[in-house]
Amino acid sequence: MIVLNGVSKSFDRGRTYAVRELSLHVEDGETLVFLGSSGCGKTTTLKMINRLIEPTSGKIEVDGKDVTLQDRVTLRRSIGYVFQGIGLFPHYRVAQNVEIVPKLLNWPAKVRRKRVHEVLDLVGLPFAEYGQRFPDELSGGQQQRIGVARALAADPKYLLMDEPFGALDAISRDSLQQELKSLTKRLGKTIVFVTHDIFEALALADRIAIFHAGRMQQIDTPQNVLSAPATPFVRELFEKPARQLAAYQESR
Amino acid sequence: MDLGWYESVVGWLEFASQRLPELWLRTGQHLVLTGISTGFAIAIGLPLGLIASQKQWLKAPLLGVIGVFQTVPSLAMLAILLTLVGKIGFMPAAIALTIYALLPIVRNTVTGIEGVPPDVVEASRGIGMTRLQQLRMVQLPLAMPVLIAGVRTAAVVGVGIATLSAFIGAGGLGQFINRGLALSNTKLILLGAIPAAVLAVIVDGVIAATVWGVQPTRQSDSHRYLSKLKPIALALPFLLAAVVLISALRDRSPAAGRGVHTIRIGSKNFSEQLILGQLMAQMIEAHTDLRVDRRFNLGGTMICHEALASGEIDLYAEYTGTGLVTVLKRPVTSAADTAFEIVSKDYREAFELEWLEPFGFNNTFALTVRKSDAEQNKWRKISDLKSTAETLRAGFTAEFSGRPDGYPGLREEYGFSFAEVHDLEPSLMYRAVAQREVDVICAFTTDGRIGAYELQPLIDDRQFFPPYYAAPVIRAGVLDDHPEVKDVLDRLAGVLNNETMQRLNYAVDENGRLPKNVAREFLIERELIVDE
Repeated sequence: MIVLNGVSKSFDRGRTYAVRELSLHVEDGETLVFLGSSGCGKTTTLKMINRLIEPTSGKIEVDGKDVTLQDRVTLRRSIGYVFQGIGLFPHYRVAQNVEIVPKLLNWPAKVRRKRVHEVLDLVGLPFAEYGQRFPDELSGGQQQRIGVARALAADPKYLLMDEPFGALDAISRDSLQQELKSLTKRLGKTIVFVTHDIFEALALADRIAIFHAGRMQQIDTPQNVLSAPATPFVRELFEKPARQLAAYQESR
Repeated sequence: MDLGWYESVVGWLEFASQRLPELWLRTGQHLVLTGISTGFAIAIGLPLGLIASQKQWLKAPLLGVIGVFQTVPSLAMLAILLTLVGKIGFMPAAIALTIYALLPIVRNTVTGIEGVPPDVVEASRGIGMTRLQQLRMVQLPLAMPVLIAGVRTAAVVGVGIATLSAFIGAGGLGQFINRGLALSNTKLILLGAIPAAVLAVIVDGVIAATVWGVQPTRQSDSHRYLSKLKPIALALPFLLAAVVLISALRDRSPAAGRGVHTIRIGSKNFSEQLILGQLMAQMIEAHTDLRVDRRFNLGGTMICHEALASGEIDLYAEYTGTGLVTVLKRPVTSAADTAFEIVSKDYREAFELEWLEPFGFNNTFALTVRKSDAEQNKWRKISDLKSTAETLRAGFTAEFSGRPDGYPGLREEYGFSFAEVHDLEPSLMYRAVAQREVDVICAFTTDGRIGAYELQPLIDDRQFFPPYYAAPVIRAGVLDDHPEVKDVLDRLAGVLNNETMQRLNYAVDENGRLPKNVAREFLIERELIVDE
């Protein structure tokens, strides 16, 4: 379980807050989606969980342990991370990219190799065909599958995903979402997923946390968020796409 | 059909082929010098660049300081290092080249590291790499192409600048250029310049090939079959290293017997000095058991003097006026006996150096014009120039333009200045006046070209120029160990008057004869050595 308790973050010594007084928890095995527009504090919050950013105040616990008391490097190696810009290492082959975290953790070479095969099979890019390629020899969708494979390689309990499909076309995005959903349910991972895409949030989330201007507006299941929006911002957020769809159908 | 160019090329190739052993040796020295200094520059510059890329506040001052080093002219840099290191030869040259190689390496390291995409750096942090792992596994490999480009720049520039190292006795291909300039011998100059240019291209190519060789083959490479050649590309640097090693070993063998019984003779880089150096060397070889190490063609008075004072050489021929003014910084004196007395005494006390008996001639400066101009304008003495000086163009050596007993003092003594003053190489000066590119030069009274080019030295009617009697200057310690050297060199006392020296200089400067042979024939002619 990941627990955030009264977490705030200011980048300008308290003049303004990117995240303000945030408290929430992520249940084991659930997918929690942070939804909001850019600048709302969702990515900052995600990065505070593995200490890419340090909170100004408040406390974050992963598995009951205060993250600030843990070694940063060890903490990050124990949590899978999928990046917005994909961030594959261009000078490493696909297999080398995937085995990087097990390598940092000093797994024996044999175990590593076996794991690379497994994980590449999981994301549908078998080693035999893709293992020896370089990232720029793959399509955007394939690259992000490798990004997911890299995050899963050391079999972490937690997965942090920062708008991982944001740069992909709609069709690859849709299929990757479906795959991710079935994959993580099968593997029982606990996921924090950041997106600004409402449909992506609805498709993936067990629960959705809606952010606006550094504050969390509501956290609940997709059904409850839709049926009982807690603030005018949340209502507006979900009504807008519905209105757009209606307007489009009328115009035909 | 005009086959002139064809004949010159064949002629030069023949010339070069006769000098293959030395060419081989000099190329090896050149490569060692460039290789070692580039290696040092990487060893120093890479860490500096990495630190600067991590600490923003350090970047600007560091690059600034290294940039300032870069602007120091090469010869000045060599002279400064000579003084600091107190040795001639390999060390100061290697240090100078290292300093020049630093800028491209440090700057490209910084640029390369900063050019790594930020999302890749963030990913390396986010998956749990330590700072050092980020640098080693991600930033450095991705910065490598830019970094290698810096190394290539450094190496190519290094090959070029290394040619100047011959001025301070570090050998290399510059030795040919230097000697060629001193002797006005274009073939010799090309023997240094062409291989140096070829070497620069080869070094650049070998680095490029090596980099290509270590790069992994990608499935998307359009010419994958070419990757079969990669082992060959990787063998190239080893081949180059083997060439260097073999030539270095060859270099060592003749010097193996070098020990205490060797006299190291220096010379400056012009014909007269080479002839005097050869005269002294051949006399010592003929009449003593000592070996002679010829360390000729050093780039100027201060370099010779520093080398002598620090014990890098044992002996060279200096001129009384130069010793007085350039080395001792004493006021000009026009009396020959006084000058010799002062330098003898002061050199002994200040440097433990002994002036031996002068050779006889007085190689002083003479303002010199074209004979036709002199006749037309009725110029006989320097004062005659006063009325027209402001329309005349002068071509002086850089040394003459700067020293108090040169142009600055002359201007004061005679009360006039020339319209233009150009700094010219000694060997180019005579041709420049003959071809009417300048009107007045500072000729040396022993120069054979005065007659050959129909020039007229003007009389120094105010006796401004100090006497420049040449004499061997030797370290006192060497005289104590080998008193026979003084006896042998004293036999050269007074044997060369101005006309004789002009004749010997002319044989080298204009007839293209080797100083070695000119000196030998003179010694035989005067029965100072026996023709075997």
